[in-house]
Amino acid sequence: MSELYVESPLAHRVAPQGLSIELREIADRGMIDVRGHATDKKFMAAAKKVLGLDLPKAPRSSVSWGDVKALWLSIDQWLVLCSRAKAIELTVALKTELRNIHSLVVDVSDMRAVLRLEGKGVREVLLKGSSLDLLSEDYAPGTVRRMRYAEIAALLHVVEDTVFDIYVFRSYADYAWDFILATARGPAKVTLFGAQNASI
Amino acid sequence: MSNKPYRLAQGGSRIDRTKKVHFSFDGKQLSGFAGDTLASAVMANGTKLFGRSFKYHRPRGVVGLGSEEMNALVGVGDSSRHEPNLRATQVELFDGLQAVSQNRWPSLAFDVGSLNSTFSRFIPGGFYYKTFMWPQRFWKHVYEPIIRKAAGLGHAPEGRDPDAYENIHVHCDVLVVGGGVAGLAAAESAAATGARVILADENPQFGGVADICGGTLDGKPQTAWVAEKVSSLAYAENVHLLRRTTVVGHWHHNYLMLFERVADHDPALLRDGAPRHRLWKVRAKQVILATGAIERPIAFANNDRPGIMLASAARAMVVRYGVSPGVEGIVFTNNDDAYQTALVLKAAGIGVRVVDSRGRAEGALVEKTRAAGIDVAVSSVVSAVEGNLGVTAVRVAAYRKGQGRVITERKIPCNFIAMSGGFNPVLHLWCHNGGKIKFDDGLQSFRPDRHQDAITAVGAANGTFALADIIAEATAAGEAAAKRKTKAAKVKLPKAEQDVQKPLEALWFAPATGKYNEGNKHFIDFQNDVTVADLELAQREGYESVEHTKRYTTFGMATDQGKTSNLNGLGVLSEATGKSIPEIGVTTFRPPYTPFSFGSIAGVLTKNLFLPVRRTPIYQWHADRNATFEPVGQWRRAYTYMSAGEDKHGSINREILAVRHKVGLLDASTLGKIEIKGPDAAEFLDCMYTNMFSTLKVGKCRYGLMMNELGFLTDDGVTVRLGEDHFLMHTTSGGADRIAAWLEEWLQTEWTHYKVFVTPVTEQWAQFAIAGPRARNVLAKLGADFDLSHDGFPHMSFKEGKLGGYPVRVYRISFSGEQSYEVATPSNMGRGLWNAILDAGKELGIEPYGTEALHVLRAEKGFIVIGDETDGTTTPIDVGLDGLVSKKKADFIGKRSLEQSYLKGPDRKQLVGLLTEEPTDILPDGAYAVRHVKDKPPMEMIGQVTSSYHSPTLERSIAMALIQNGRARMGETLSFPIEGGKVIRAKIVDPVFYDKEGARQNV
Repeated sequence: MSELYVESPLAHRVAPQGLSIELREIADRGMIDVRGHATDKKFMAAAKKVLGLDLPKAPRSSVSWGDVKALWLSIDQWLVLCSRAKAIELTVALKTELRNIHSLVVDVSDMRAVLRLEGKGVREVLLKGSSLDLLSEDYAPGTVRRMRYAEIAALLHVVEDTVFDIYVFRSYADYAWDFILATARGPAKVTLFGAQNASI
Repeated sequence: MSNKPYRLAQGGSRIDRTKKVHFSFDGKQLSGFAGDTLASAVMANGTKLFGRSFKYHRPRGVVGLGSEEMNALVGVGDSSRHEPNLRATQVELFDGLQAVSQNRWPSLAFDVGSLNSTFSRFIPGGFYYKTFMWPQRFWKHVYEPIIRKAAGLGHAPEGRDPDAYENIHVHCDVLVVGGGVAGLAAAESAAATGARVILADENPQFGGVADICGGTLDGKPQTAWVAEKVSSLAYAENVHLLRRTTVVGHWHHNYLMLFERVADHDPALLRDGAPRHRLWKVRAKQVILATGAIERPIAFANNDRPGIMLASAARAMVVRYGVSPGVEGIVFTNNDDAYQTALVLKAAGIGVRVVDSRGRAEGALVEKTRAAGIDVAVSSVVSAVEGNLGVTAVRVAAYRKGQGRVITERKIPCNFIAMSGGFNPVLHLWCHNGGKIKFDDGLQSFRPDRHQDAITAVGAANGTFALADIIAEATAAGEAAAKRKTKAAKVKLPKAEQDVQKPLEALWFAPATGKYNEGNKHFIDFQNDVTVADLELAQREGYESVEHTKRYTTFGMATDQGKTSNLNGLGVLSEATGKSIPEIGVTTFRPPYTPFSFGSIAGVLTKNLFLPVRRTPIYQWHADRNATFEPVGQWRRAYTYMSAGEDKHGSINREILAVRHKVGLLDASTLGKIEIKGPDAAEFLDCMYTNMFSTLKVGKCRYGLMMNELGFLTDDGVTVRLGEDHFLMHTTSGGADRIAAWLEEWLQTEWTHYKVFVTPVTEQWAQFAIAGPRARNVLAKLGADFDLSHDGFPHMSFKEGKLGGYPVRVYRISFSGEQSYEVATPSNMGRGLWNAILDAGKELGIEPYGTEALHVLRAEKGFIVIGDETDGTTTPIDVGLDGLVSKKKADFIGKRSLEQSYLKGPDRKQLVGLLTEEPTDILPDGAYAVRHVKDKPPMEMIGQVTSSYHSPTLERSIAMALIQNGRARMGETLSFPIEGGKVIRAKIVDPVFYDKEGARQNV
């Protein structure tokens, strides 16, 4: 049997040049979709036993434990992030621990493309495709938000103040990549508020 | 007209006389200075003529100061960068700028269309409605092309736009519109509270008209105060300043659009790749309008001649650009403000006299004017203007409104007029979203009244004109707007000193001597060539409502949105009807305030970003293999793969025959996939589908039909039972998102007691159909680690395992009627597995097939496609699938509706097969079957073709159709009239054309 051929959604794209921020694909991220009721103590306890963390109950929040992270998606849905190598094992462990508890665990590591945007001005770049108030304190590190980005659905995760991950469905990866290339071009840089206006 | 250069020896606060700038106007090479506008630079070269008017082709020059300009519309840039209808007063000069005048032929000075002017008495208001009524067929082919050529403004650019554009969204606490003294004061006090403030101004610099309005702040000129405020706001962390940015519209919830001209003024920016325009979509908690006021023209005879400007514009020409509007001029006014123009002109050494329509003129500015030795004539009006391409003289007559007609007049030689009929607060944005306005007798204009949104108006926009009042009002508004912020704010008000102005007197019309209104046009709407006489005629003809008058005469309907004409028109209507202006009312203000580019609206969503395109994991392989693509929703699916020397029909036939005789491979990754799990999952599926799923055995697959509540088919697909409480549903490619939402909706709103979770997983899987008599051999060659035998893995069952080392879920299901396996692997491994299958199948003759082959294969088998055989009003019974509608289940979505009489009635359209009499005839998709063929429509339609193909398997055409009472008509021959008078005749047959027993998939 020959070596398995594995290809991330944006593997064919070259590293972009001339952008006002850094853009790259995160290809090694494992993702597990977990459904269950936050009010179900058994469910929460079982999830914690496997993941080492309490699934976050606060809307638009996230929680980390080691290299595992849980993003709140809705009152009964989370996206668990881990390394790709760990995803299968963690999925099996969750399914096993949750086998008698009403829940649904699916390994969705290949369902989305993850785009990492990083640098000063990243919020302004995203505002060219999103009507969220990304400059407000609502979007502190850790925040998770499903949104309309450009003309598609996306999941936003504020990793650090100037580091954002955008999750889009795999089929839209090229569209999202191209949209960011178009809106993050260096000469189109916008800096909102503050001393940038000094030239006036 | 004198060609003497009009650049004054000194002055011009905005120009840099050390930087010469070269440009062309109508092909003529001219020069100006850095800081000039196109208007000032052209006028400095002694040219007053900028264009021809819309209807009468009258010569026109610059009238206004900025965005209110209605005459001097120019086209800027060449070919693909050409932009028409720009106001010359707003176009900033740069080296190499190419501008052309508009609406003239063959040249600006000699224009054939100006014959319209000679015959203008035959082109009154409502001319188009009166003249081109009949014959009706002339409209499209004769009248419209001629009118469009003769009228109209600039021309569209040619070719693809080479520049970039973009949108951006921003939220702020306070948006201040207009960066004059009022806007700066409001922004300063709002920002002092810590609020996030955006200040936008449409001009290249802030300050509004501070430089031409006199007065001092803290003993210094207003401009010094402006400079100080702008620089401190520019460094504030919580303020964003936008220049060259017009707020074009205001909508609900304080949503506004701002049009920023990023690079129009500087080609170097464009060369560097800056976007040309940027559209800002701003959501503001509070809006402060500091949009100022626009000066009104006066309606006197031939008030449109080049050289007749607004007094503020004439003043700004001298102060800002060191350009004289002429050598000898008249200031014609009904207010004190225009006296400042007289003083500025005099100080610049330009000859000037004042004609004031008021009975008394005695304000401080008037006294200064008299003291400066300028002649002031009161109770007088300009009754006529002489000259055609420019002003040569005016006639001044003694006149008091209501005291008889003008009889005596004197002629004064001059070559320009600065007119001022008062000021109108700029109310457009206030009114875009339903703000109420009230008439102010002192201003003789409308002011803001009430508004349901969090919006206030300050300064001249609010009818406040005195400097001290403006500062106080704007500062208070800024503080109030930012009230939610806590940081203590105290802005010290500067001490304002300014000449006090006496009230104006309304002047809506200055009558001409001699033949009243014949050849002496009093223009109200310059851009659409609407005169006082036109408005009065409309009244006489019964267009009493101002909205009717507007549409009948086109008054206020030009690209300037009636900025200078609206109130003057209302004044004329008021005098014509004897009603007050508030009784007449105003016409509706609609966005945009000024035109803005389509490019800015589209932003980056052009070319490859015009529409989101979804790609399967195999997309690149398809593209490399020269597949033609077919849009399926936003997906691009491979339609067929043509080889060298093959056309589409050839490749489709080859692909179909490969599946029938050997084996084919299809990329079916777009199929919707939804995991459904929970103790009530089986019962839930029983409710969603027409047929039974609770009886499905683990490891088995079942085809299901889904209806909406109306009993109409909405989706179909194969569902697999992965475990006792765990299912995987397949939906149509186009229905994936819709059905997932539909399932969630029922669970969340109606059946909240069900313990079921639903997770869409469509894109987790790359999925391929391996179909054909050798399909099993391919799987065997790949080294499947599961039982492949027919008994061990029968039709409609499921296995999980490895194939070629790749983890797979394999469903033995068939949409082609052949032995067939659908293989799913995680998307990132899709391409690897695809290649492995092709390698393994090579010696078995495997061929990739596209969506067209897929469709023909299923049609040969009589399988329906939702959206082809169904149209949203089709039931399972209509398509002959009554067998899949459970009689046992207590309930399911749509069950009750199927009991309605009209869905059970005798004349429903039913799915049948069709065989044309001539096997080579292929019925067009959607062709109508008619009861009786007639020479021409209408003919009674009894059904339509839903799918139609050439079947290479059967070596003839086949079709499916929904035909009234079709199943009872088996064997009947129907007529299908098609284009060109041809009638195709086809026999009704069973819709399953091939392998009726279904033996081929079961081996």
